[in-house]
Amino acid sequence: MHATNIAPEPAAQGTDAPVDPRPRVIRASSALADRIFRGGSRLTGLLVFSIMGAIGLFLALRATEALRAVGLDFLTTAEWQPDVHRFGIAAVLTGTVLIALVAVSVSVPLATGTALFISEIAPTWLRQWLVSLVDLMAAVPSVVYGLWGLVFLEGSVIGLARWLATWFGWIPIFRVEGADPTDPLASASVFTASAFVAGLTVALMVAPIQCSVMREAFSQAPAGEREGAYALGATRWGMISSVVLPFGRGGMIGGTMLGLGRALGETIAVYMVISQVFEIQWHILRVGTNSVSSLIALRYGDASGFGLSALMAAGLALFVITLVVNFTASTIANRSRSGAQSEV
Amino acid sequence: MKLSPWRRALLAMSSLLIALGLPAPAMAVYAPNYVPINGAGSTWAANAINQWISAVHQNSIRVDYSAGGSSDGRQRFLQKTVDFAASDIPFQQRPTDGSSPENPAPGSYAYMPIVAGGTSFMYNLKIAGRQVTNLRLSGEVLAKIFTGGITRWDDAAIKADNPGLTMPAVKVVPVIRSDGSGSSAQFSLWMQAAYPQIWSSFCSSRGCGNGAASFWPSFSGAISKSGDLGVASHVAQTYSEGAIGYVQYSYAKNASFPVVKMLNAAGYYVEPTPLNVAVALQKAEIESNPDPAVYLTQNLRNVYTYTDPRVYPMSSYSYFILPTVVSGNFSEAKGATLAAFSTYFECEGQQQAPDLGYSPLPRNLVEASFKQIEKIPGAPKGGRPPLESCNNPTFTADGHNRLADIAPQPQACDKKGPAQCTKGTGGKQNQDTPVNQAAAAANNSGAGTGTANPSGGASAGPAPSLSYDPLTDQYVGAGNGRGGGDPNVAAVPIAMPSGTGWSGSQTLMLIAGLITLALVLGPGIVSWMLRRRQ
Repeated sequence: MHATNIAPEPAAQGTDAPVDPRPRVIRASSALADRIFRGGSRLTGLLVFSIMGAIGLFLALRATEALRAVGLDFLTTAEWQPDVHRFGIAAVLTGTVLIALVAVSVSVPLATGTALFISEIAPTWLRQWLVSLVDLMAAVPSVVYGLWGLVFLEGSVIGLARWLATWFGWIPIFRVEGADPTDPLASASVFTASAFVAGLTVALMVAPIQCSVMREAFSQAPAGEREGAYALGATRWGMISSVVLPFGRGGMIGGTMLGLGRALGETIAVYMVISQVFEIQWHILRVGTNSVSSLIALRYGDASGFGLSALMAAGLALFVITLVVNFTASTIANRSRSGAQSEV
Repeated sequence: MKLSPWRRALLAMSSLLIALGLPAPAMAVYAPNYVPINGAGSTWAANAINQWISAVHQNSIRVDYSAGGSSDGRQRFLQKTVDFAASDIPFQQRPTDGSSPENPAPGSYAYMPIVAGGTSFMYNLKIAGRQVTNLRLSGEVLAKIFTGGITRWDDAAIKADNPGLTMPAVKVVPVIRSDGSGSSAQFSLWMQAAYPQIWSSFCSSRGCGNGAASFWPSFSGAISKSGDLGVASHVAQTYSEGAIGYVQYSYAKNASFPVVKMLNAAGYYVEPTPLNVAVALQKAEIESNPDPAVYLTQNLRNVYTYTDPRVYPMSSYSYFILPTVVSGNFSEAKGATLAAFSTYFECEGQQQAPDLGYSPLPRNLVEASFKQIEKIPGAPKGGRPPLESCNNPTFTADGHNRLADIAPQPQACDKKGPAQCTKGTGGKQNQDTPVNQAAAAANNSGAGTGTANPSGGASAGPAPSLSYDPLTDQYVGAGNGRGGGDPNVAAVPIAMPSGTGWSGSQTLMLIAGLITLALVLGPGIVSWMLRRRQ
């Protein structure tokens, strides 16, 4: 087709003017419906952007009073006593990150396995069932996960936590002070209400999201390459590891980051499970941890004036972190759609 | 179970009311044009408030109450997002616990007592796999437990309080409130009055001073949970063995858990029953200064030291904070509803309090509360029902609290000494805990004379040299011919995790076995099934 050569020939008018090498600008007179649609989409896009900006601005403005009062100590103080100007996010941020890390390190293998099974291995009739089951998991409200974590998981996971502390206690993060494996009467309480339990609960909440993103990415691996791999004698695992996983790598990273973003902000389930402490607690199996969102949930009711400003500052920190994580995630997920990451 | 006379009367009356289908008498006074009202605050009083709310529902009074802690309630009242607040302590204008000062507009609010009760210590403790239901502790031990001073159940001080129990070498896990709470505040006020040294040494490093501490400072080894319900449900978990938390008595009853019998100034270990609370609060000083900022607030100094043997020292009143001006969302129509609701629970509602685990208000407070209700905008002026029609179980002709008359004297085995009662407490009234022989012998000698005689236990007749106790599955009695043999000579029986049958490790083993089996057989089965499908 010669789409670019449809410009009218100047020679047809019989003049000798030089031919303009630039292609003609095409002005399509779009229909009214098109214009409304375009305007509408543009407007919603801008609206989303401005709402996000407004939330950030609001948090920043409300947080100014508290941030100005303590300055950089805000990042290094573990206590939370805003009205005597001793407060900071060192403890809550540590807890938030630890809970999110536990959640992600449990949910990623789970989600990857589930996604691979659904997209590659499960027979077609089972696939639909599994997809809707996973979606159902995502639809369960977080307070239900919180109740389940509090009433069931917390008691059931003590054995695993104790085992980890006994055999891997030499790794600092698994050490539990006050737990003596040789003492049969040692209280199991020291293994409850920890970042580990909270992380496991959150893992189950973020796994479905991660699973759907990954499944989407895996199913986009081109059929030609899959069959090529089989033709070269690859087993199913060989095909998955050489075609599906490289194609889906962007989706895996994006899904992981999306899950991380949600895990960082999870409030009510964490709030119900943990016992809040205001000290930097690195030991994930030990009782007591904290998170930014559960701090806000706990204290916003009692806070006034300056206390509220301090909570806004904590919220701002969480907002910024979540925003960074989600932007990274969406950038990676977008890049992967073209298959640019593929090594094939 | 034997019913006390007044409770029997109450039962008869309520069944009569139900049979006749009579509406509550107090309700007939107001026109039923009620609008929904909402309130927030104390979780301590929440069980009573929720009971009243469901009771007035049939009179088309709609009340929405969210129990988020007393501090939360006061704050929301200040922000005018609720119509009333429930709080165990007044507004804190000069707080010492690091929270922000609360400055309500003068003259815009009034305090009204709603119900009394005991802040009880609910615990989860087992000896030889058997739940302890008759634990008793002195105030000093409780103060030390909740400040990190006593960390093991076999501490000498706890043993001294419980001569009949062989305390296990289990860690004490104090469960404290993480949110701003009136229970924490009352507990801290008690501790400052009774054990100022323990409080000040605990507090000095944590930036709190003398005064109500709504936010209990967290300390190493403690678990913090929000709300009475959060504390109670944590203590009640099977894995929480060794845990002890402070909640209102009703929460322990609802969770079917025992509460600590606390040592009072008369030397008796007493349970926070409604009757004992009623006795204790006879000594509560109620502020009579008509300044609305303090009027009707409580000073419990003399309750802590009251020497009646039936006193539960940690007794207190809980309050409503009522609006006295129309502002924000609060209208006269809401005021009328709030007045009707308040009138109901000051009279009729108090009947239900003892069954829930609260203690009804005495006559003088109900009288004062009626005057407070009249200050609510929209409340019917002068139309309050005469006190005589107020169906409150505490009323007597001369105004003293009837419950204090009928409160039974504590048993001799509850006196500080070698004896120890076996009867369960709180939500475990029907489950007794056996005591060792020395204490049992002291119980018998004490019960025989009807008075507590600390020396009676030691001089009791010679015990059999060795006897088998089927309850604890051990041989007891050192056979030294003294009834008061050292209970600690006998080996302390313990419950091993493996001894309780199926447990987490067995489950893990089973899962591991199943996974191994699935790994071996799984691929074959799956591929066979897939092949069959094709």
